[in-house]
Amino acid sequence: MTAATALTATRHTRQSARRLTLGAFPAGRLLRHVILLLFALYALAPVYLVLLASVRSEAELFSGPLSLPWPIDFSNFSRTWTESGFAHYFVNSLIISTGSTVLVLITAPLAGYAFAKLDLPRKELLFGLFLAGLVVPAPSVIVALYGNLQKLGLLDTRLGVILPQAALLLPFSVFMMRTVMQDVPKELIEAAAVDGASPFTTYVRVVLPVVRPGLMSLALIAFLFSWQEYLLPLVVLQADDLKPLTVGAATLQGRYGVDYGGIAAAGTIAFGPLVVLFLVMQRSFVRGLTAGAVK
Amino acid sequence: MTSQRTAILFVLPALALYLAFVGLPILQVAAYSLFTWDNGSVTGFAGLANFTRLGGDTVFWTALGHNGIWVVLTLAFPLMIGLLLASILAECSPRTVRILGAIYFLPRTIPLVVAGIIWGWIYNPMFGLANWALDMVGLGALGGAWLAEPSTALYALNVVGAWTFFGFCVLIYLAAIQAIDPSLYEAAQLDGASWLKRFRFVTVPLLKPTTLFLGLYAAIEAMRFFDLVWVTTQGGPGYDTEVLTTHIYKTFFLVGDFGYAATLSVVLLAIVLTVSGVSYRLLRSA
Amino acid sequence: MKHLPAARLVASTMLIAAAIPASAETVVTQWDQFASSGITAAGPAMDELIAACEKVLPDIKILRTVVPSIGIRESYRLAVSADKTPDLAYTWPAASVLAGYARTGKVAPLDAYYAKYKWDGINDFYRGRNSYKGNIYGVPMEQDLMGVYYNRDLFKKLGLEVPKTYAEFQAVAAKVKEAGYVPIAFGNRDRWPATNTLSLVLGLTAGREAEEKVLFGDGSWTDPAFKKAAETIADWAKEGYFPRGFNGIGYDEANALFLGGRAAMTITGTWVLQDMARGAKFDLGVFMLPPISEGVPAGTMWGEGSQWQIAASAPEATKDAAAAYVDCLISPEHRQVWVEKGFLVPIGTKAEDLAAWNTLPAVKEFYAEGLKTPDTNFYDLHTTLPESVTQVLYPELQRLVGGDATPDQFLDAMQQSWSKAVANGERWQP
Repeated sequence: MTAATALTATRHTRQSARRLTLGAFPAGRLLRHVILLLFALYALAPVYLVLLASVRSEAELFSGPLSLPWPIDFSNFSRTWTESGFAHYFVNSLIISTGSTVLVLITAPLAGYAFAKLDLPRKELLFGLFLAGLVVPAPSVIVALYGNLQKLGLLDTRLGVILPQAALLLPFSVFMMRTVMQDVPKELIEAAAVDGASPFTTYVRVVLPVVRPGLMSLALIAFLFSWQEYLLPLVVLQADDLKPLTVGAATLQGRYGVDYGGIAAAGTIAFGPLVVLFLVMQRSFVRGLTAGAVK
Repeated sequence: MTSQRTAILFVLPALALYLAFVGLPILQVAAYSLFTWDNGSVTGFAGLANFTRLGGDTVFWTALGHNGIWVVLTLAFPLMIGLLLASILAECSPRTVRILGAIYFLPRTIPLVVAGIIWGWIYNPMFGLANWALDMVGLGALGGAWLAEPSTALYALNVVGAWTFFGFCVLIYLAAIQAIDPSLYEAAQLDGASWLKRFRFVTVPLLKPTTLFLGLYAAIEAMRFFDLVWVTTQGGPGYDTEVLTTHIYKTFFLVGDFGYAATLSVVLLAIVLTVSGVSYRLLRSA
Repeated sequence: MKHLPAARLVASTMLIAAAIPASAETVVTQWDQFASSGITAAGPAMDELIAACEKVLPDIKILRTVVPSIGIRESYRLAVSADKTPDLAYTWPAASVLAGYARTGKVAPLDAYYAKYKWDGINDFYRGRNSYKGNIYGVPMEQDLMGVYYNRDLFKKLGLEVPKTYAEFQAVAAKVKEAGYVPIAFGNRDRWPATNTLSLVLGLTAGREAEEKVLFGDGSWTDPAFKKAAETIADWAKEGYFPRGFNGIGYDEANALFLGGRAAMTITGTWVLQDMARGAKFDLGVFMLPPISEGVPAGTMWGEGSQWQIAASAPEATKDAAAAYVDCLISPEHRQVWVEKGFLVPIGTKAEDLAAWNTLPAVKEFYAEGLKTPDTNFYDLHTTLPESVTQVLYPELQRLVGGDATPDQFLDAMQQSWSKAVANGERWQP
């Protein structure tokens, strides 16, 4: 089913459903709305509590009501940002996540295209090999990985995180790209071939422009997952000025005793950018996450 | 021939990166499991001796049980909630869908380490936000040390896991429901079927492949999650939140017995691969 | 210099080397856990001493990496496994782990340096803890002692005296509880704090000799004196000496509870002296827990917690340089820096030095008390047991204190992992 027909179908369902349910079971409807709101509360309450704690001073942390204080106190943020090194951590998260996202963007669509459209020998086996990577738990491979990175001289470098990070993202990314590439019309590729374009030219000039929304989704998800990774950078990076936000936030826990305002601010810095990114790019995110799941 | 070579060239960059940084370490770990180790150094060949230790390792079986419970809880809670919320949302206005969808999914954007820190603090018996919030609304008596009590620790942790996962389920189910042929709902409604009946007899059966997909995804994640436990309880109190990955981590890093840690890793991989292999078959035939 | 032919370069370097010994700069990579606050907060002292020692030893360049103490166990083990061992490291948990690396030949024996530099201030107890099969592998520096920090203001307010006997201690705890305060701030989410508490209790129920029978001899963990220790710590929890939900409270949070005036006492070590002395807004006092069992002499848990160790894989010149630098760090004149800026008292520091130096009263008080009983002071469990046993001790102790395991179940589990480790040759004996 193409996106366009899915959309009309949805609209159709919604309209007919609304027409028919209107007023039919008011009690049931009320209950359903209460359920929706309850779970919205479940999702938001912890985030709200952290935001609240991040803008309160130590003294008023556990006093006063659950409403936001006014004027808002940003001292926790400025302290975390400058004194605790979160300015560094933030930049490192940005560099590492961007690096692995770019690597994934270069490699995964190529592979996905080959799996979906090209005459690849042992296709099933190779694809299974990639899929198997979905189940690998990080603590299991990290020790061997550490030794290998040491031999390559990549320990304690950002590249030493970027390369394995991209590799760990590949199973999902290749899977997703195969699904996306399957939707590219065969006629387009054939027409390009008739015009004498090489397979690679066809891929760059014809295929990539068609799947641009899919690439956007892939980029977002790869970025999200890289940003969230903890164990890999924890083990590979030793120098404090190379560490990303996840590692920084976790070490903050024991380092400053019970500076909850600071920890809350640190947490907010660690997830804030992702939340904003998600809210701005919601449609691309959702399309990417659901690719492959619904088929 | 040429077209095959082209295809291989297309796969090569991804394959090389993947094999170098994921494939090779897995093979190395499999090899580790055949040796005896002392503090990170090989001391001899073990054959399958490390594997025979599994039977008497009660922590391994406890941890495996907890992973099993986690799988069941994830299937029972976030998945079912996701289905329910998605079916309700499917009949709401596009604006509601967009706003609530975003809200439900929001926790998934938070790194698990940070989620663990946030919830660890919420649950904290002395300085916890939960106890504080309960006090604020006059329900202080309900407060407790949920992450520190053997009877509640695993479940309290699962509430966090579900928190980061149910929104994902909502979005996936929603997309799947929106792909269902609307005439099926119309027919059901013309027959006078209630919302519950339509849910039960139209939505649920048609979403079976989606449920299988999500179930598979959830089960894999439930077998390999680590960050959340590590930053909150480190497997405690006692062994009450020990899972396979924390047992592996401790055996590798704290005991230094690489051989046995590798053995545990191999077993974990074998279990997950088998389970997901079977489910994948099911998924494709469904 | 750059343009000289290689042969001449070598020759001239040798000439210079002969004239002025070791003119080429030797780089020593160092890992340590001295942060700027929290546990072992001697970071600023470390920086100052590196500068001072580089001045005294101009041929040596120290490349320092701070590894947070919560992760240094893991980091060091990984580094060893990948042959990336730092030339010099200062890590915990001490003796037990050191023996593991000595066994596998990853750390260098230091007997020759002990003889050369006459590190006589390090007594037999500490030498024993850093030895494996007749050789010595570590230079212990920090002297860790356990004691009871207490809130003098609160004691005064409640009309309490420092207890001289265990019965008095129990009475104090009961009265504090009655008054609505937490008797002992205690948090065991991090899993290791309770091992310190148990070590202290064990030394005061069993005594050092009985401990040694088990730790270095053929004794068993099911020994009645060990059972008494397990029962005592379980009773403390049952009697409500600890805050509610202690297995979910972090070590730092427990300290904050004490510093915030909500608890009357906390039982921990000298490694948080700086945070305690600086953070207390009340009159901070320290006393030693009295003996618990009849006939057991007074004493406290002591150990080095961490030690300097040199990688076996380092080139000889680097080893020599590292040893010279360590000698500088622990020299009598530099001990004063550790005490005054690092709030830690190096092994071998004399009581009269300590009295004369400018440091916080709590530091002096704590060490003066703890160093009164050098012959009866006893062991710290998780820096003494092999790692495989420690990893059983952590969860089992959470269960014992949490009331989920009986003292017998606890001791059985310990004995089981203990005999396995002994059979594997994992334990160290002085």
